[in-house]
Amino acid sequence: MIDLVGIPQPNDAPEPGACVRIDRPKGPDGKDLGLCRIHLDPPHRKMPVFDVPLLRDLDQALDEIALDDSVKCLVIAGRDPLTFAAGADIETISKIDDPHVARRFCREGQKLFQNLYRMGRRGGGKLRTVAAVGGAVPGGACEIGLACDLIVIADHQKTRIGLPEVLLGILPAWGGSQRLPRRLGIVNALGAILAGKLYPARKALKLGLVDRMTKPEYLWEIADKIALGQQECRHRGRSGLGSRLTDKNPLFAAFVANQAQKGVMKKTGGRYPAALSVIPLVVRAPRVPIDKGLEAETEAIMPLTTSKVSESLVGLFLLKEESKKLAALPSGEKAARTARAAIIGAGVMGRGIASQMAERGIDVRLRDLDRSQLDAAEHFHRGEINKKLRRRRMGKHEAAQAIDRLEVTTNAGGFARCEIAIEAVAEKIQVKRAVLGELAEIMGPDAILASNTSSLSIDEIALELPHPERVIGMHFFNPPRKMPLVEIVRGEKTSDEVLARTARLALDLGKTPVVTKDCAGFLVNRVLGPYLDEAVRLMERGVNPILIDRALKRFGMPMGPCELIDEVGLDIAAHAGASLEAAYGERMKACRYLAPLLEAGQMGKKSGAGIFTWSGKKKSLKKNRKLPKPKGRFSMSEEAIIDRLVLAMVNEAARALQEEVVSGPRQLDLATVFGMGFAPFHGGVLRYADTRGHEDIVRHLEAVREEIERFEGVDGERIGRFTPVESLLQSSKSGILFHHAAA
Amino acid sequence: MTTTDGTRIVLAAGLRLPQARAGGAYQKEDAGHLGARAARELIARAGVDPATIDEVIVGSAGPPHDQANIARVIALRAGVPHSVPAHTVARNCASGMQAVTTAATEIQAGRGSLYLCMGVEVMSGYPLLFNRKAVGFFSRLARARSVGQRLGALASFRPAFMAPRIALTEGLTDPTCGMIMGSTAEVLARDFGIRREESDAYALESHQRARRSRDAGRFAREILPHLPQGAKNASAALIHDDGIRDDQSMERLAKLRPYFEKPDGTVTVGNACGITDGACAIFVSTEERARSLGLTPLARLKSFAWAGCDPSRMGLGPVYASAKAMSQVGVELSDMGSIEINEAFAVQVLACMKAFASEEFATVELGRSRPVGTIDPDILNRNGGAIALGHPVGSTGARLLLTTAHELEEADTELGLATLCIGGGQGGACVLERWAA
Repeated sequence: MIDLVGIPQPNDAPEPGACVRIDRPKGPDGKDLGLCRIHLDPPHRKMPVFDVPLLRDLDQALDEIALDDSVKCLVIAGRDPLTFAAGADIETISKIDDPHVARRFCREGQKLFQNLYRMGRRGGGKLRTVAAVGGAVPGGACEIGLACDLIVIADHQKTRIGLPEVLLGILPAWGGSQRLPRRLGIVNALGAILAGKLYPARKALKLGLVDRMTKPEYLWEIADKIALGQQECRHRGRSGLGSRLTDKNPLFAAFVANQAQKGVMKKTGGRYPAALSVIPLVVRAPRVPIDKGLEAETEAIMPLTTSKVSESLVGLFLLKEESKKLAALPSGEKAARTARAAIIGAGVMGRGIASQMAERGIDVRLRDLDRSQLDAAEHFHRGEINKKLRRRRMGKHEAAQAIDRLEVTTNAGGFARCEIAIEAVAEKIQVKRAVLGELAEIMGPDAILASNTSSLSIDEIALELPHPERVIGMHFFNPPRKMPLVEIVRGEKTSDEVLARTARLALDLGKTPVVTKDCAGFLVNRVLGPYLDEAVRLMERGVNPILIDRALKRFGMPMGPCELIDEVGLDIAAHAGASLEAAYGERMKACRYLAPLLEAGQMGKKSGAGIFTWSGKKKSLKKNRKLPKPKGRFSMSEEAIIDRLVLAMVNEAARALQEEVVSGPRQLDLATVFGMGFAPFHGGVLRYADTRGHEDIVRHLEAVREEIERFEGVDGERIGRFTPVESLLQSSKSGILFHHAAA
Repeated sequence: MTTTDGTRIVLAAGLRLPQARAGGAYQKEDAGHLGARAARELIARAGVDPATIDEVIVGSAGPPHDQANIARVIALRAGVPHSVPAHTVARNCASGMQAVTTAATEIQAGRGSLYLCMGVEVMSGYPLLFNRKAVGFFSRLARARSVGQRLGALASFRPAFMAPRIALTEGLTDPTCGMIMGSTAEVLARDFGIRREESDAYALESHQRARRSRDAGRFAREILPHLPQGAKNASAALIHDDGIRDDQSMERLAKLRPYFEKPDGTVTVGNACGITDGACAIFVSTEERARSLGLTPLARLKSFAWAGCDPSRMGLGPVYASAKAMSQVGVELSDMGSIEINEAFAVQVLACMKAFASEEFATVELGRSRPVGTIDPDILNRNGGAIALGHPVGSTGARLLLTTAHELEEADTELGLATLCIGGGQGGACVLERWAA
């Protein structure tokens, strides 16, 4: 028996015994076969997860089977062949803040799976145990499989199996870190765990992670036969001489650990401790007894469960899942899939969005007045698809259809059957109004008219359009195929149905939608504005842009602010800055330092030079010699640089939250991580502020303000961006954090 | 033509891709993609819900071996739902026209009222084949089990196995009379006493007319620009047929050597149509259905006819078929305001003109007392023909109908004739009538 007392439970936990279904299939002659099949089937979960009720019932079932001599073999199966379990319950984990409880949750889970292992032949028991898995099999679900003698997997496109815990800042701690290396060898196991990769069925079989693959319809039948010994099935894991020479060889293990360590440090700079602590665990696994290994596993996860990094990553994961609910219609049903879409404007944004749609199975009609833009769009799309074809991410027939699905035209005709139109034309309100107005006439009254504007008001665009309830903002980020965030801008009149359909489209494109209010810059650009502007001002003061970028990269941004300005284009950045300034006044006052470059036509990456000089595709990142002369020479510590840029952003984010630009601090954080790449281990702008403490934030904001007043004069017109907003001042006294207030 | 309840059959909408010389712009094209592109655009422009199409019918003389029923491939790739059936028709050079007449017959029989009809041909994609001996060699090798057998099989290799069979030339050769198409044209030159210079002059005129029409923007109404697959990065879409030679002249034509019958033949590559890739799509429907879809039809299909003739004189097919098609509805050649005769060979068009006007031909071959009529060269192929624009065999039949339909309005006339000769000794002809509400 395992002890789960005191571990957080879901509110709707069912009666004991309700979460598993035990099946005793009989032979054709009606005789008992000695086969027992346990189905994980918790009634309170659409997708089963290992929460307290399920663990409890599974434990109970295993205990009964252990005492029942008539049971000769055991199959662990899901509710149906393609619904197994989604691993340990992340919500339970996120609710645990007492380290003792966390330790117990880990230990008891290990014990349960270890019991299962001991019952099986490989663990020295009498039963032949088989896991019959399919659909999503991540984390804990994979670990229960590893504890069985054999794993049979459903051959289906939805099937994915693996141990993704590291991506959540923790590690596989129900025996996964010990059993996977035993099965795959330390090299493959490390690869799988460090990347948190989820493998398709065929790949898993090839790797030896599972032992047999079959169609979902046959899954249980085959698992039964294998358990009964009616069908041979070889364990595909590692064994024998090979593993003795490698996995059990301490020299080899040390070498692997060293290489892995180097790789992780290079990639993450050591900011994700889970990856680092899992390495020694995995490489030692084949050389220590399983009990010792499990203990070590517990010790390794303990500091991680309550760490800020894990809290941040888990928070983001939950929120990303939550954003899927945005696609729900007022009736509660999921909004229908968009089958045909129109994109107007074949520039970088338009072509990127269109290409993504065509790849994701949506028929898309792309219009531009300029034929050469359309040609470029087609070249771009085919290039992207062919890249995927070469990397075998797509089959030949899929690639052919993805290419077919993109229609290009210079004419206004052919849009009648499109369910949504997204305009990505010049940022001029008359142009956008004209484009959407023309479409409104051709398209049905329930077709969505979306604008990919980054600086104009949706309400103003909707002003003269018929049926303004179907006008919405759908703000993609550049480059649209890669950036995972879409800001869905809700106008005053936008209907709930239109919002849900737009969110569904964003989700179908593989994006994470965040709903924002119709304010200038929406959320991401508004918060990013002061950050980038401060970088420019530091350059003006004489700080080397290379140092600025280095500081922020060390902080955890994927790209320094100066490089980002070059990447976006100085012209676009200036335009965005000007529109923020127009909307918010003094505190968003944009620095004119880069204006001479802009006039000289040096607009960043696209023109070969901006703040840096860009040669070809490779980043040379040499300071552009034509950069205007700064006011003086000035050096700053990395901390001071970070404070100045990031705190400007924090303050604006707090203001946006106060004005309810998004529905809560979690949504705001999600947008900053996915929209600007704000370091995921910080968990987002607001969580970063929470971690530092609001008092500290306020103190440093005021310090920056003083410093500016001293050096730039009291008329430092943008001083407002460093004046702590009301909510920050209050919370710095009360100690209530953003995320606490919301919870 | 009308349905049983009197509704007229119309060409409701249509478009085509630019035609490109084989081995050129569409060298890396795939027939499925080319067809799907045209079909998709036509469906979009017509605003038709593809689920309401009764059937997709595609004409293709040589579909790729991996797309034998290319109609189905095109339909699915164009976003037509699974539930709509599709079949491929073949009548060599008239396959595209066959697609349209099959649809008309179906509509007449009351089986449907909206058909997506196409012609498509990627002659660039015609393969080189292993000859029979080589195939035998490979199957011996595959059957060999032991090392000895394998060595034995390998040893049976002969250099002759490497000689390929060329699908293109073999496809253009009539297996019943053993003549390649060009040779059948030479027969007509001798029969009708047509000299090389006459053919060359006709060919030059074809290029000049095509060039004039292109420069006047006449083709913009039927051509959908297309960026070919495999096009080099940053290259532009093809907007016009690329076979039109702006610098064609009698001197240049005269320099070419006879291609099929050396040294005294008259057919050269300059006065014959080129090997070409292309695709054309037309919605065939009833007047009523078109109206309910909000479409303004291009033209009405008044009648059509297919006729057979001597395979070694296949070039005369248009005369037999046109006479039949016109007599069905009681119209005369002189009623036609616009005529398209496919220019397989200049000499073949010239021979047709003579046969149309010949009393002897009428009595002996057509069993009628008077000649069919005289063709005014001014209304024949006003925008040039296959010699300049190219002849993607499966697509041409549909292309002629599309061009003729537009020409009724361009030339402001009531009746038009689209006809072509067919390898194997046949002719096809359609009479189109200008559509008036």
